[in-house]
Amino acid sequence: MSVEFVRADIPWITITILLPLIAAVILMFLNERFAKPISIAISAVIFVISSYMLLAYDPSSYKIQFYEKYEWIPWLGVSYEVGVDALSLTLYWLTALSFLVAFIWSTNINKRVKEYFVAFLVLEAGSLGVFVAWDLVFFYIFWEAILIPMFLIIGVWGYAERIYAATKFFIYTFFGSLFLLIGVIGLYVATYFQTGELSTSYFALVNTHLPFTVELIFFLLLALGFAIKVPMWPFHTWLPDAHVQAPTAGSVILAAVLLKMGTYGFVRFSLPWFPEASKYFVPVMFTLGVIAIIYTAMMAIAQTHIKRLIAYSSVSHMGFVTIGTFALNDFGVNGAIITMISHGLTSAALFLAAGFIYERTHTYEMSKLGGMARFVPVFATLFMISAMASVGLPGLSGFVGEFLSLLGTFKVSILTATLAGLSLVVGAAYTLWLYRKTMFEEELLDEERLHKWKQLKDVSASEFLSFLPLVIFMFVIGIYPAWWINLIQKTTEAILFKIRLLGG
Amino acid sequence: MSVIEQLVSGLGLPNFAVLIPEIILLATAFLVFIVEMFSKNRKLISSISIIGLSATGLYILAIILGILKLVLSPITLKEATANPFYNFIIKNYMEQFITLYGLYVVDLFSLVFKLFLVLGTVFVFIHLRPYAEAKKTYYGEYYYLILFSLFGMFVMVSSPNLISFYVGLELMSIALYVLIGLYRKDYRSKEGAYKYLIIGGTGTAIVSYAIALLYGRTGTFDFKEIAQQLISAETLDVGLIGGLVLLLIGLALKASAVPFHHWAPDAYEGAPTPITAFLAIPAKIATYAIILRVVVEAFPSLTETWGLAWAIFAAASMILGNIVALRQKSVKRMLAYSSIAHTGYITAALAAPTGMGFAALAFYAIVYLFMGAGAFLLLASLEKNEGWNNTLDDFKGLAKKDPMTALIMLIYMFSLLGIPPTVGFIGKLGIFLALIGYNVWWLAVVLVITSIISAGYYLRVVANMYMYEPSFKGSINVSLMEKLSLGILAILVLILGIYPTQIWTLTTTISSLLMAGVGR
Repeated sequence: MSVEFVRADIPWITITILLPLIAAVILMFLNERFAKPISIAISAVIFVISSYMLLAYDPSSYKIQFYEKYEWIPWLGVSYEVGVDALSLTLYWLTALSFLVAFIWSTNINKRVKEYFVAFLVLEAGSLGVFVAWDLVFFYIFWEAILIPMFLIIGVWGYAERIYAATKFFIYTFFGSLFLLIGVIGLYVATYFQTGELSTSYFALVNTHLPFTVELIFFLLLALGFAIKVPMWPFHTWLPDAHVQAPTAGSVILAAVLLKMGTYGFVRFSLPWFPEASKYFVPVMFTLGVIAIIYTAMMAIAQTHIKRLIAYSSVSHMGFVTIGTFALNDFGVNGAIITMISHGLTSAALFLAAGFIYERTHTYEMSKLGGMARFVPVFATLFMISAMASVGLPGLSGFVGEFLSLLGTFKVSILTATLAGLSLVVGAAYTLWLYRKTMFEEELLDEERLHKWKQLKDVSASEFLSFLPLVIFMFVIGIYPAWWINLIQKTTEAILFKIRLLGG
Repeated sequence: MSVIEQLVSGLGLPNFAVLIPEIILLATAFLVFIVEMFSKNRKLISSISIIGLSATGLYILAIILGILKLVLSPITLKEATANPFYNFIIKNYMEQFITLYGLYVVDLFSLVFKLFLVLGTVFVFIHLRPYAEAKKTYYGEYYYLILFSLFGMFVMVSSPNLISFYVGLELMSIALYVLIGLYRKDYRSKEGAYKYLIIGGTGTAIVSYAIALLYGRTGTFDFKEIAQQLISAETLDVGLIGGLVLLLIGLALKASAVPFHHWAPDAYEGAPTPITAFLAIPAKIATYAIILRVVVEAFPSLTETWGLAWAIFAAASMILGNIVALRQKSVKRMLAYSSIAHTGYITAALAAPTGMGFAALAFYAIVYLFMGAGAFLLLASLEKNEGWNNTLDDFKGLAKKDPMTALIMLIYMFSLLGIPPTVGFIGKLGIFLALIGYNVWWLAVVLVITSIISAGYYLRVVANMYMYEPSFKGSINVSLMEKLSLGILAILVLILGIYPTQIWTLTTTISSLLMAGVGR
């Protein structure tokens, strides 16, 4: 299948990648008090541009849209090549939204403000780039470049064990991504020997036909890089530490954007590049996905730390994305993509909620909380909606994605779908447990806490503003999923094209 | 007629026009030598050295740009000869670039390396004066010894012949032995110098023995002629293999590749820090360059042999360098081991004896200048502060005390680690491409795993700078001049990481010229 392109009249994508970088450089030389307004304004502009692109995108064609290409190192066939299909676009939009939310939330930061916003702006440029780069060297550059700001964000603005968590995060992901790099270079070299074309472009690499064993090896190399980022069980142990120690906005970005990079990699690269290997590894991926869903849901129930619980729930939700992806049919992949977006919204909102609670009470321990609902009613409502969306209540975003993933999986493996479906109950259990232990059970409160809770302030304007878009889109996706599925349908077909050709 | 007149009438005068950079450099060195005897004005000596060096560098740069213009752009011979500048280049650098009766070659390969050797040395000079003044170990000898050593490197990268290679190597090394020991009041400086003297002397002895064996077997010193002899030789005997093995050992020793690295950490730690930078960057780059030239030009029929040998050296260097670096408390010593590891990364490219491999080697060797020199020179700037010992603890909280310096160090560290968008990543990418393109998967995997190990110590420096409260009691004072020069290096690291195209062009060109055998 040859790919067609629609060139961008205005290089929107490049603008959105450069804007935060330029802003970061300018901020370094400006007074601290400019940091917040500039960052929020920049991220708002980027969100507006990405929303415009989402609406202007033509979902009825297979073409890569808003496409740009410039030569970079002609001797190696590397060029700067960006563009979007629906998969890229939705995640790109989610990234823009998450950063806007993170910046609005960060208005109460007061430790090394300038560096904080510079780090986040650099992180935003890198994260946006990952989802739109079609040249593999650029993809890898963006993929790795985000490690630096994220390392600093966790390590400088985190909590007590932050340095350990930051280093662990860095080394884990660095480990995986170097194997990813070897895999990509191997494929590049194989393509060169096969076609004589020296190119790191996705569209050149996708046409390579590899011997089956080689395909298996390359699949595994790439999968190692992606699986650590997702993170899939058993590579998930860095995630709870990173989340627990990261500052709230860092957790939001980590959950909403960084985790998506791994699943994006599976859908974007593993399936179209290695169709036979993907089919071959379906049982393995299903097993790992189901273990992730069940095991980490069990782990989540056992947690008493709010953020650690949400972190484990993230791993569990990403398990649905994994099994949906490797169902290798329309329902499954559509479901995986919708789950990614939905999880981006809900996990971001839940981490905001955790951040809100910590700011008011200075603890993440559920045993020291409880009964807050009556004193912070607006927050309790927002928290409730997010929790319900996360559980998968019909009418909210979580339901659509998980339903489609399970439907897709059910067509392939009834056992996997049943096990994963049953664990939804566990998911509901720990989320409701989290809500109950923090918001309800007022009658169990002691005098001291009751007294403290009475002084609690409900959500401030900026906090409300950062919750608001997340909650709105939870409803939008939940109530009218057809628009989103229509948006990504053609892309899903293109991704599954080669697997379809294999038959079976 | 005197002997010289007879020689000249028989062979003709050597072409001195191509030797202008060398002449400027040597004249500067002798000028500094003489001025130093009569004047204690260090500022004058420093200025003369920097001006002389800059003149050399700019001259070489102009020639390189001219050659590239002629090689890469469609310019007709007629047009070119009409232009006096191009005419000069064609006459001296393209038609005939071997001079001094076949002992000295001035090709693009040597010019490119010379340019970056000069660049590295200029940065060393900029940081030398403030450092040496603060440490009260400021002697004029620094300047002319560095210049003589640099001249030795020039001879080395320009040698088409085992004899001129040996002369260059000795000239470089002997000056370095003295330079390392110039921190006169410091015991470790002497220890390092002595160690390097003994082990380096052994190295040159091994090289000279290798030369003797090769000459005995082939009857020639010239790289190209040795290659001819090797191709026509039916069997490989002790003379050839012994000569090759000893030559490789001697070169590995100079490049501080494991298992011949023992002198390096002590010499690096003992030397005055700007000299450490000189030792770790220009001296290393010159060594890599001559390694590349010797193995490609003299032993093209034995690629598998030396490829495997360098693969083993490289793997051992990466593993040992990175693991031992993890255990270091002193950042200077840690960087010394990191430099051993980088020898591993760079020479790993020789395991893939292809055009890609040589280009990757040249690229990484050149860009290592910016991050490696930057890191050592930054230590030199910090060391001037009273009580600073380069320990990891000293680095704690540096970002609070001096955010600019910390940011620069952060860029160097991530570049040495090989994280995009710094140039270190592009360097490693080139090596990966070469290794995987030549199917040397095992070495690529060793490179990956040791890179991950190296994250441990580079990140520790960054974490100490940014994530702890300051523990160093004294004040941190890095002058604006030093910040500027370090900042330029850091910006180059970033810019080349985002736009490596020009340097890739350069290294790809010299590698293809080297491969085509017209490198000289």
